[in-house]
Amino acid sequence: MRPILLSGHERALTQVKYNPDGDLIFSVSKDHVVCAWFSHNGERFGTYHGHQGALWTVDVDPHSKLLATGGADNTMRLWEVDTGKLLKTWEFGSSIKRVEFSPDGTQLLGVTEKRAGHLSTIVVYEINPDPAAEQTSEQSLRIVCDESKATVAGFSYLARYIIAGHEDGSVSQYDAKDGELIYNVRAHDADLQVTDLQWAPDRTYCITSSKDKTAKIIDAGTLEVLKTYVTDTPLNSAAITPIKDYVILGGGQAAMDVTTTSARQGKFEARFYHKIFQEEIGRVRGHFGPLNYVAVHPQGTGYCSGGEDGYVRVHHFDKAYFDFLYEVEREQAQANL
Amino acid sequence: MSRVAGRTDWAEEEDEDSIQLPQQSITKNKDGTETIVTYSIREDGKKIKTTRRIKKTTVKTIVNPRVAERKHVPKFGQEKGKPLGPQTDTTSVAENIVFRPVANWKASADDKGEDAKKKASLKDAKIKCRICSGDHWTTKCPFKDTMAPEGGEPAEIKDEAPETGGLGAGGSSYVPPHLRGRGGAGEKMGGKFERDDLATLRVTNVSEFAEENDLRDMFSRFGHVTRVFLAKDRETGRAKGFAFVSYADRSDAAKACEKMDGYGFGHLILRVEFAKKSTT
Repeated sequence: MRPILLSGHERALTQVKYNPDGDLIFSVSKDHVVCAWFSHNGERFGTYHGHQGALWTVDVDPHSKLLATGGADNTMRLWEVDTGKLLKTWEFGSSIKRVEFSPDGTQLLGVTEKRAGHLSTIVVYEINPDPAAEQTSEQSLRIVCDESKATVAGFSYLARYIIAGHEDGSVSQYDAKDGELIYNVRAHDADLQVTDLQWAPDRTYCITSSKDKTAKIIDAGTLEVLKTYVTDTPLNSAAITPIKDYVILGGGQAAMDVTTTSARQGKFEARFYHKIFQEEIGRVRGHFGPLNYVAVHPQGTGYCSGGEDGYVRVHHFDKAYFDFLYEVEREQAQANL
Repeated sequence: MSRVAGRTDWAEEEDEDSIQLPQQSITKNKDGTETIVTYSIREDGKKIKTTRRIKKTTVKTIVNPRVAERKHVPKFGQEKGKPLGPQTDTTSVAENIVFRPVANWKASADDKGEDAKKKASLKDAKIKCRICSGDHWTTKCPFKDTMAPEGGEPAEIKDEAPETGGLGAGGSSYVPPHLRGRGGAGEKMGGKFERDDLATLRVTNVSEFAEENDLRDMFSRFGHVTRVFLAKDRETGRAKGFAFVSYADRSDAAKACEKMDGYGFGHLILRVEFAKKSTT
């Protein structure tokens, strides 16, 4: 496995995302610029300019036409993927920590930061999937998180629920139609924030990662914790791989402690766990800072990670990755033949 | 001009060479491969025949039309107008990483680490038996009962054995304390001082601006100086006015003592004498 190193950013990466076709990677960092890359060879497709502050989040719609970003300049922006044209800017009272399109691309949610005078909210906009169309400024839904601020959020299957992770380690489920809180579950350790929430391909369950050094698979309908992956380092991101039953966890020493630790101690590795057996099966090193985000190719042929060191590393999996089976899996495959 | 008859031009010369070479031949084999035979002339003038067998396969991949279309969309932003293909300033290939998932990774990784370390250290170390010079440990030597270690003469050990009161015949370097230094004075504590005193000069009335290096320069004229100690005030960092200079050889020290006593250094006159034995 020879990773491709993308060095287009000057500061720490905050999020990387594949588009649903898997041919593009979008990366955002604290340097105000959004980059689009071809995933197969690492060629930079283009850059999106306009944000005035650090960027926290990016998402692309299912048709790879629209790109949403949010950042510390208190704006959420919509771009045309193919040209880099800015289509729409929504302004808020505080920074945007997370954006995500609904599975059909007609809704866009944004999570706003809590700040003096502003409570943390989850806002939803109706989106017209046509890049040429005018986009609405009117929020179709606004959920106020008064108990603990939301850090991450996403749409479940059929955009039925909004699942949000909170600063206090809890995960809550809202009705995506009326914004009503249905469940709130203390999934992670208290006062250790949920750092990431990514979906399985069918969006019936998601994986959350937390600073409490664990990642958990949570059912979208019942918020039941299905699987727990225990590591020895605070986690920043977790992803579920299609095709193979693995999860990839990324993290490492907190960014502020990095200079005092060596790369080995810092545990800046992507960790692979078996999704079912909850057991670590391998690690991929390479970054010399904590991993801020890991994203998996939608067809499961590779993954990329964005690190605090300012690099995106794109990996295409080897045969060994696809061939690996547990003994019981192999026996079952034999029996079925 | 000394031209060979018939060769009128360098261009013709070239032509003649290539004419001498047989044409390249391509033959199609039954199994679908091609054999290409080409001839060429090496720099040293020797003729080379190259035979290559090639199998041609067409790899077809079906991609999403949207993906195919996107490959031809012009680049934008900072990449605007840049040619097709990855740019070296933003994209590079990192070193190869071996990623091989294994069940029970944690345990295997720990074991492997230990094992690998041990093996590596063994690989580097050259094992040589002290008895027979074979490539095994001395303790595993087949001759260890019958032969003494290489270099040590057995006769010597015999002599020594009664004297040292049952010192191991293996020639161990350990000597019990009560047996040490027999025949001479017992080892003294602070042997370092004694060695120094033999060839150490005490220099007094040293200017407070003196540096150790100044002293070393002055005193090394008389012989090899092994140590210069200039007493300094801990707070001000200035010299306290005295120093010790040690020589490797006592005769050098004596010479220096004679010459340097009364020597003007800075604004003061040095006083040099042999250091007295410390009272302790």
